Amino acid sequence: MWNYVVRRLLYTPLIVIGVLLVTFLLFVVVQGDLSTEIAGRSASAETIAEIRAEYGWDKPLFINIEGMKQHGIEALFDSQFVKHFVDTVTFDFGRSRASKQRISELLWDGAGPSLCLTLPMFVGLLSTSLSIALIIAFARGTIWDTILVVICVLGMSLPSLAFILLGQYFLAYKLGWFPIFGYEPGWSGAKFLTLPVLIGIIAGLGSDVRFYRTVMLDEIRADYIRTAYAKGVSTRRVLFVHLLKNALIPVITSVVLAIPFLFLGSLLLERFFGIPGLGYMMIEAIGNRDFKVISAMTFIISVLFVFGNLATDICYALVDPRISLH
Amino acid sequence: MKTLHTIQLIIICLMGMHAGCGQEASPPSSSPEGLVVRYSTLSSKIRGLDPMDIGDTTSSAIGGNIFDCLYQYHYLKRPYQLIPNLAAAMPTVSEDSLTYTIPIRDDVVFFDDECFKATSGKGRGLTAADFIYAWKRIANIKNVSKNWWIFDGRIVGFDEFREYTKTIKDKADVDYSKPVEGLVALNDHLLQIKLKKPWPQLQFMLAHLPTAPVPHEAVNHYGEEILNHPVGTGPFILEDWKRGSKIILSRNPTFRDERYPSEGEPGDKEAGLLTDAGKRLPLIDRAEFLVIQEDQPRWLKFMAGDLDVAGIPKDSFDKVINTNRQLTPEMLAKGIILTKYQTPLTLWYGINMEDPILGTNLPLRRAMNLALNRKEYIKLFANDRAIPARGILPAMFGDFNPELVSPYINYDPQKAKQLLVEAQRIHGGPLPTITMTMGGTDSTARQIGQYLTRTYKAVGLNFQVEYMDWPTSQDKVKNKSAQIYAMGWYADYPDSENFLLLFYGPNGSPGPNNMNYKNAEFDELFEQMGTMPSSPERKALVQKMEQMVIEDLPCILTSHPIAFALHYNWALNRKPHVFGEGHLKYGNIDVERRHKAKTG
Repeated sequence: MWNYVVRRLLYTPLIVIGVLLVTFLLFVVVQGDLSTEIAGRSASAETIAEIRAEYGWDKPLFINIEGMKQHGIEALFDSQFVKHFVDTVTFDFGRSRASKQRISELLWDGAGPSLCLTLPMFVGLLSTSLSIALIIAFARGTIWDTILVVICVLGMSLPSLAFILLGQYFLAYKLGWFPIFGYEPGWSGAKFLTLPVLIGIIAGLGSDVRFYRTVMLDEIRADYIRTAYAKGVSTRRVLFVHLLKNALIPVITSVVLAIPFLFLGSLLLERFFGIPGLGYMMIEAIGNRDFKVISAMTFIISVLFVFGNLATDICYALVDPRISLH
Repeated sequence: MKTLHTIQLIIICLMGMHAGCGQEASPPSSSPEGLVVRYSTLSSKIRGLDPMDIGDTTSSAIGGNIFDCLYQYHYLKRPYQLIPNLAAAMPTVSEDSLTYTIPIRDDVVFFDDECFKATSGKGRGLTAADFIYAWKRIANIKNVSKNWWIFDGRIVGFDEFREYTKTIKDKADVDYSKPVEGLVALNDHLLQIKLKKPWPQLQFMLAHLPTAPVPHEAVNHYGEEILNHPVGTGPFILEDWKRGSKIILSRNPTFRDERYPSEGEPGDKEAGLLTDAGKRLPLIDRAEFLVIQEDQPRWLKFMAGDLDVAGIPKDSFDKVINTNRQLTPEMLAKGIILTKYQTPLTLWYGINMEDPILGTNLPLRRAMNLALNRKEYIKLFANDRAIPARGILPAMFGDFNPELVSPYINYDPQKAKQLLVEAQRIHGGPLPTITMTMGGTDSTARQIGQYLTRTYKAVGLNFQVEYMDWPTSQDKVKNKSAQIYAMGWYADYPDSENFLLLFYGPNGSPGPNNMNYKNAEFDELFEQMGTMPSSPERKALVQKMEQMVIEDLPCILTSHPIAFALHYNWALNRKPHVFGEGHLKYGNIDVERRHKAKTG
């Protein structure tokens, strides 16, 4: 297994270079420099030139032939892509073009609130939807199964924005059970996070329960379940030990790959409940063509995703003795 | 200067320009530690609090309460009147109008801050040299300040200083002690400015936030992080800033002795705006701003009484305002007060005059103006919260011409059709499809696009809209590849020059004249007007220039928005003020009334 892990880790730099190249091509080569936009209304030619120099947009894209002719071979790599690559892999993301703030600080400040929202939401949604799916699997074919499936479909049909608007209006404003808006770091902030977490769980239940129900139903018809019942194993043990463990492969696939994206937060919940996370940062950065921010977040997500994939494979091997990693 | 696109402007106006809203999560019925606290919101994130770089409305709304300028607008008097702020008096102007001598108050100190190492953190006194230093930072090309337009080509020797900064490799090596002939500190409290040519608008610039003084100690101490560590002389200190979430300003204990105005305009006394006359400013101890970007939470917070002020979201408008354009009884019963006021804002669709189809075809431009039903447009997209634009200048400007006449501004589709026939003759055949560049992809942008397409198709003009994000649309406008585009202008100061510069030929793209309008006679009059002090002669010139523009029509004028703002009756001294920043110091809160209202 270790050979497999090392080999996968060695692939990581290549994947990251590919990601950096794609983001560079998309946001620098295709969109061009933004010097006139940054310069504002006073955009004299000199100011624009200064901005181009400040952001390195006056340099060649990939290799600097002219620079090499004038300053020698070391200037060959004095280009936009090489600088972008070196800065990114050394985590020197620089400053956001739009906010002028250090990107590393923006990421650090935003990751905490995002995770405070998404982690409990993720755990709550996973445990609730798995439990409900197990119950449905147990009650398959009954009226309860039908009712729950209908509710799931209804839940899936409603956009998450509807849950947010209704939850905020009725539970926070009308009933006053939760704060309408706000965020505080630490435990004192729990009261602000309760409603968005609750809404996030409810909004996600429909699709997750449907998915896990299908997984459970596939397993519950298997021979080993019938054998367990024949041996007199209790229903609880059949469901939570035998069935759940064997149904874990598709669960692991969806769960482990979702973990890196927890870092990105939740766009709508953060905006509507005032949680200063990273949910809106990426969208704002794209709108502002803030390439450095986009690049930094893409880099981090891609690295996390690569490790998430690796973790998934390892989990497969740990959970299912039929799988071995070579 | 703030140039805004239509979608942003409509949204801003719908929300109430200066309303602010949002707040802290804990119910503010009882203020912490018995302090007088104002709760409000910001609708976007702060970009930084270094005056050199401040350009956006939100950052200005905060920065204006931390930094002071030489002059400020009187809070109550109308028309808007400049009065001394950090200056001890209005400037003395030489006979040739080229030299301004400004006395500086001797009782002003910067906040206490760790950057003042020589005084163990105690803020030092403000001097004339602090202004020169701050302005040289703007001139330093290595700082890439957006605000160089303020001084560009105006002050003797200042352009040369900017040239000098080009020769310096690192911005930290720029020698700020290098003399500039036109900027001299005659002594610690006397500043002299020498101009290259008369520039009456200088006084307005000296009330503009980017010209606020900044201590060199703070710049040296914080370096690039100065944008997060504002050290000013204003009534409030930045107490806490949770990025993208919350900002708290607290009373500056070393703020100079400034008093609430004792006189205003007729009606102010009756409106309770002089109750605090003569009281020391600021009147509140703390101001908390929450960044709330969505309408619903902002509105619910206001309705819950957690906010003192708010705008009206588009979707709630009909529930709040009745058919008589007044508050509904439910709102009045809650103690909510409505304020309606004009903004120094004009919206239009700019026409690129260098476009080969539109630029040379006056009947086509006139037909496009005649085809637009402005009343219907305003009703649909602004809840009737705007006045159809007949000219460039909003009515609050002294040079506004109520008798401005153009036969091409009214809605007349029949005449538009006739003019299109002539336009085709000039073009030499059927007109090609006209493409509008829309800087927005949201539903409002698309609704506007559909409306305009239908409007022009109805008179026989093929019209289409291309939707893109705002920065991309700006690129198209600046590189002159857009034919028509949504645009607007919110004036920075109450002088017509601020609007007319948008039509001055040499200001063509990428400058502010993005319509690339060129009219030699207009340009000549603009140069003449720019050096004239306010007078009947100048007013006549301005009105002549405005008439020229509406005859040539390098744009499709749409509206002058009217802001609707709400506040609770416990938020006192609320008077709309559309110029300058830093009005928080005049606001007051009746904490007891708020407490009673919140606790029933």
